[in-house]
Amino acid sequence: MEGESRMEHEKERETSEATFTDEIRRRLGGETIALCYQCGTCASSCPVAKVTERYNPRDVIRLSLLEQKKEVLSGSAIWLCSSCYNCQERCPQKVEIADVIYALRNIAIEEGYIPNIYSEFANGLMNEGRIVPISKFVEKKRPEYGLPQLRTAGLAALKKILATTGFDKIQWKKEGP
Amino acid sequence: MTSYALFLGCTIPARQPHYEASARKALTRLGIGLVDLDNMTCCAPPPLQSIDTETSLAIAAHNICVAEQADLDIVTLCTGCFESLAMANNLLKENPKLKARVNEILSNAGEEFKGTKEVKHYLKVLIEDIGLERLKKNVTKDLSSLKVASFSGCHLLRPSALLKFDDPERPHVFDDLIEALGAKSIWYRNKLKCCGGLLRGYADDVALAIARDKIINTTKAGADCIVTLCPFCFLTLDLGQMLIKSTYKEEYNIPVVHYSELLSLALGIDPKELAIDFHKVRLDRILGKIT
Amino acid sequence: MKEAKIGVFLSDCGGELAKILNFDAITSFVKQLSSVTLVAKGNEFWRGEGLKTITDAVKTKKINRVVVAETLPKLSEVSIVKAAEKAGLNPYLVEVIDLKDHCGWPHRDTPSEATEKAKAMLLAAIERAKLLEPIDKVEFPAVKSVLVIGGGIAGMQAAEDLADLGFKVHLVEKTPFLGGLAARAGRFFPTDDCAICIQSPASDVKTVTHTSRKCVYRSGFSEIPNLNIMTNSKVVNVEGVPGNYKITVEKKPRYVNETKCVGCDLCATVCPVEVPDEYNAKLKKRKAIYMNLPAVYPPVYVIDESICKFHECAKCVKICPTKAVELDQKSEKITLNVGGIIIATGFQEYDPSVIKEYHYGEYPDIITNLELARMIDSFGPTGGKIVRPSTKEPAKRIVIVQCVGSRDRRWNPWCSSICCMISLKHATLIKSAHPDADVTICYIDIRTTGREHEYYYERARDMGVKFVKGRPAEISHDPEANLLIVDVEDEILHRLLELEADLVVLATSMVPSEDAKELAKILSVELDQDGFFKEYNAKLRPTETKLKGVFLCGGATFPKDAPTTSLHAHSAAVKAAKFLSAEKIVKDQRTAVVNEDYCGDCEFCPVTCPYGAISLVSNDKEHFVAQVSDLLCEGCGICVGTCPLNAIELRHSRSNQMSAQMKGLLSVNGTAKPLILALCCSECGHAAVDSSGMAMMQYPANVRVMKVPCTGILRVEQFLEAFKAGAQGVMVVGCKNDGCHYEVGSQKAQKKVDLAKVLLKEYGIEPERLEMFHMVFIEGDKFAEAAQMMTEKLEKLGPLQLM
Repeated sequence: MEGESRMEHEKERETSEATFTDEIRRRLGGETIALCYQCGTCASSCPVAKVTERYNPRDVIRLSLLEQKKEVLSGSAIWLCSSCYNCQERCPQKVEIADVIYALRNIAIEEGYIPNIYSEFANGLMNEGRIVPISKFVEKKRPEYGLPQLRTAGLAALKKILATTGFDKIQWKKEGP
Repeated sequence: MTSYALFLGCTIPARQPHYEASARKALTRLGIGLVDLDNMTCCAPPPLQSIDTETSLAIAAHNICVAEQADLDIVTLCTGCFESLAMANNLLKENPKLKARVNEILSNAGEEFKGTKEVKHYLKVLIEDIGLERLKKNVTKDLSSLKVASFSGCHLLRPSALLKFDDPERPHVFDDLIEALGAKSIWYRNKLKCCGGLLRGYADDVALAIARDKIINTTKAGADCIVTLCPFCFLTLDLGQMLIKSTYKEEYNIPVVHYSELLSLALGIDPKELAIDFHKVRLDRILGKIT
Repeated sequence: MKEAKIGVFLSDCGGELAKILNFDAITSFVKQLSSVTLVAKGNEFWRGEGLKTITDAVKTKKINRVVVAETLPKLSEVSIVKAAEKAGLNPYLVEVIDLKDHCGWPHRDTPSEATEKAKAMLLAAIERAKLLEPIDKVEFPAVKSVLVIGGGIAGMQAAEDLADLGFKVHLVEKTPFLGGLAARAGRFFPTDDCAICIQSPASDVKTVTHTSRKCVYRSGFSEIPNLNIMTNSKVVNVEGVPGNYKITVEKKPRYVNETKCVGCDLCATVCPVEVPDEYNAKLKKRKAIYMNLPAVYPPVYVIDESICKFHECAKCVKICPTKAVELDQKSEKITLNVGGIIIATGFQEYDPSVIKEYHYGEYPDIITNLELARMIDSFGPTGGKIVRPSTKEPAKRIVIVQCVGSRDRRWNPWCSSICCMISLKHATLIKSAHPDADVTICYIDIRTTGREHEYYYERARDMGVKFVKGRPAEISHDPEANLLIVDVEDEILHRLLELEADLVVLATSMVPSEDAKELAKILSVELDQDGFFKEYNAKLRPTETKLKGVFLCGGATFPKDAPTTSLHAHSAAVKAAKFLSAEKIVKDQRTAVVNEDYCGDCEFCPVTCPYGAISLVSNDKEHFVAQVSDLLCEGCGICVGTCPLNAIELRHSRSNQMSAQMKGLLSVNGTAKPLILALCCSECGHAAVDSSGMAMMQYPANVRVMKVPCTGILRVEQFLEAFKAGAQGVMVVGCKNDGCHYEVGSQKAQKKVDLAKVLLKEYGIEPERLEMFHMVFIEGDKFAEAAQMMTEKLEKLGPLQLM
């Protein structure tokens, strides 16, 4: 702070990059992250943390609040949440933990950290309007079980939506964690 | 009886015709009208929400718009679809700012979300439109010796603030519906815990470890079968047992059926019409107990 | 009213002020003003010879109004007014202004401008003085008697203090026995002494009891002659005014004569009706006729009328050796006349069954801290043994869970403050008695902030109590092994644990007593957002409420430990004593007064008054008008600012007085800058101006400061009036929004400023000419900055174009 007046320093802060926490809070779903007081309820509610040390929701939040952006976004932890929402139900500070994880994943994808399986989902969506493609084998068997023909998917509307939000512009990498 | 727009999602028509067949047959037999609409897309479940939550909301809203246009409430089979669509429906109804934002996106597709329709899971339709008493009367088989480990999965109940389906800590609707068929819904450890299904494709080993826990707990409690609502749960627990056999060298042979299949069997529908060969763990054990 | 003869006394503060202000010019200016009959200049006028000048002038009737320019008016005014009053002048005919900190000091770089401003300030004071009226004091009767609601340790302590001081005290307790939570808690941290030990009374009783503290039942507390203890009683109605309340108490029948019962227990042995004992955490049963142990007071049995079979049974009547059982007792309504009320209703444990993941109520071996306290108490249901409720076997592995329902935004967002220490107390008591017991405490944070509390925590670790930093997600039950399993992450080890326990204790949140809502309604006392009784201001007016005469103490305002409760109780007793000891309440009538001809009965002012001082009454012309209680009015003027019909005025700050001041301040400019009127509240705003001057901060002399009691008194017309009177800009300076000394005044002022801005726009006047600022005394720099900033802004905007 030497050589800078208080006013100058404050102005600098206003125009400089927002913190990682601010970035997360500005995202849909990430608004509540800073309420966390690290009680660990989420960790002991988590079905994934129970079976592997590779994931602990409390850790992810802690690292994010400590501005460890690269570690969080490039790591595999954020992809290991199974979206069961147990943590979010039980959090005593009403931190929307599962939604925060989504926000972190959203940011990670924007920055190019995309696990392969998600590229597959995205491609399926953009090409057929479904994240899981219908196998021809199964489709042919439909009349056998008394199932009517499948209706056409709303690809036109979908494509317009994806174009508006910029989903189709994401660089779907083949590599990833 | 009321008609609903049937929302199939992706996974069920892709790989689980037994779910679709049993659901269509059972619901139609009970008098519920199911309408198939054009222009539906993927519901935008967690895998898409992970890529972009805003896009996912818009896609979910689009599907609801299709139903609004047809003036029909939506009924889903997959609880993942239920979570995505019901969550979007309630979120947009409650948050005008978000609704405006999503409608701005939808306007490019010539659509507008109005918030005039409901999104229901078929369990809710059973409870509300049919009711437990009428359901009991329609049961023609005896399931009294069947011990069921019910597993609704996460997304029927959570996030509870937006789904408003049942008490997330003490849910009873699913168990009530199972017992209305005459079977017994038993207690087992960690009944409400996630099956890990959504981790398949990214961390198969973790998903399998979680699934194995569930198989062990249900088996330990003496269940004859596991009854599911979500195609991912089904896959994880049914196909999962094959993987557990090859990875852990353990065999459990506990059949996994969707509720609609159990319902169909209880209503007396012939198993041959239900595409049961899509099960990896054979259903002989339970077929024997349904008389 | 007699014609005003104004004496003006100008202090040059030991000659220093004269170095900046031209006192000759000022003196000649003042001399030629009408109604000024005496002008004097000197070094100081608030003491010594200078003060004598004033009092002589008053005594010789040369003057009947006093205007003094003196140093630190908020200090000097007191002695000037007192002296003037002694000399025979009504104290409200004195006006003291500050030419030093409000004029000389902040404008020392522009002395001629400062001199012109001084003239304007004096003109304003003199014009105001012309319109001042004498205001008398009124005396209201005060009964030297106090009602204490709640017979826990807080209530008992406050009651004892007041009884010792000679007040007649009525202690009303809703349960049949005194003692409250303390009686159930057993021991208090950090000394682990008996919870029901209180200070002995100081009165004659002490000569018999001999010590400074004793258990309640032997402290002699109950023998203080002017203390009336009513148990099994509830306050059902309160009427009247502070100093003179009429209280209706409903005394439920005990069905046992207090003067005859010898406590032999024969009645309980024959009673056929048994219920789970709630007092003892339902760990044992009690009869319909019972006495809680340890009984603190009165040592008399009581019948639970909801389960007793009365005359169908009457076994207790037959067996009682002293014929003390009286089944035909009836409820009584008793009226009390008291001068003050102390609320001491305490707090209670939250019911954790709503926190479904913890399964309280579902699995019997999950209990709360209070229930554990009953087990630890050797008088308790298990004789001091720690057992599993499910099997009655000793509990060997105990897990205590902290913050159950506390610090939880789903349930109670506050920290309940005492649970960490309570759990440490229980853990160490258990370890003392059963060294082989395994005790683990799961926590988010350990809060041991009081005196000696950290050593208490150290001792717990020394005794082998285990600590896991992590909040459990779920407590499940293994039916085969009949074990409880606590799922918790040990954050420090970074390991997920499944703790097995025989007994799980939930350190449950502390919440307001169940009767708080009802009582608040009866007394018209406010509850805060968490449901606790609201203290007026914890630092400045602890144990007071916004209502005169109603005080609070103990856990009723927020959970607290015993030493703090004791302090709080003593404080409330002193406050009540101060209020009532003179047996009269003397108030000045610097209060609001209604002009009935204008009042339209719109009900705005009764609703707005923070003190409930305004009510609607029917007048002789048979319509409703507002009426102000001189006893309750605090003189803030918020009602004045609220009234849409100008039907209510505040004495000593009447509209005409304020207008005169405004015009006077804006009459002379003397600078090349745009005139600004700064309306400052007498609490924080005006004080901030003082401090800026005291620190000699510089701001331009075009800023004219006018004091109002509270910015809440200001009306939108007054802002417009200021512009018409010559102001180019108006600043409203009040307390911070959450710190207004009259609760809501500064917030209301902000609303009016916002509304005025809309109107200004309609008139074609730039809304930025009017701004509101919030600051406190130590933010004098903020005032100087704001004044500077407003001046620059107005210079940019150019002169005001009024239509």
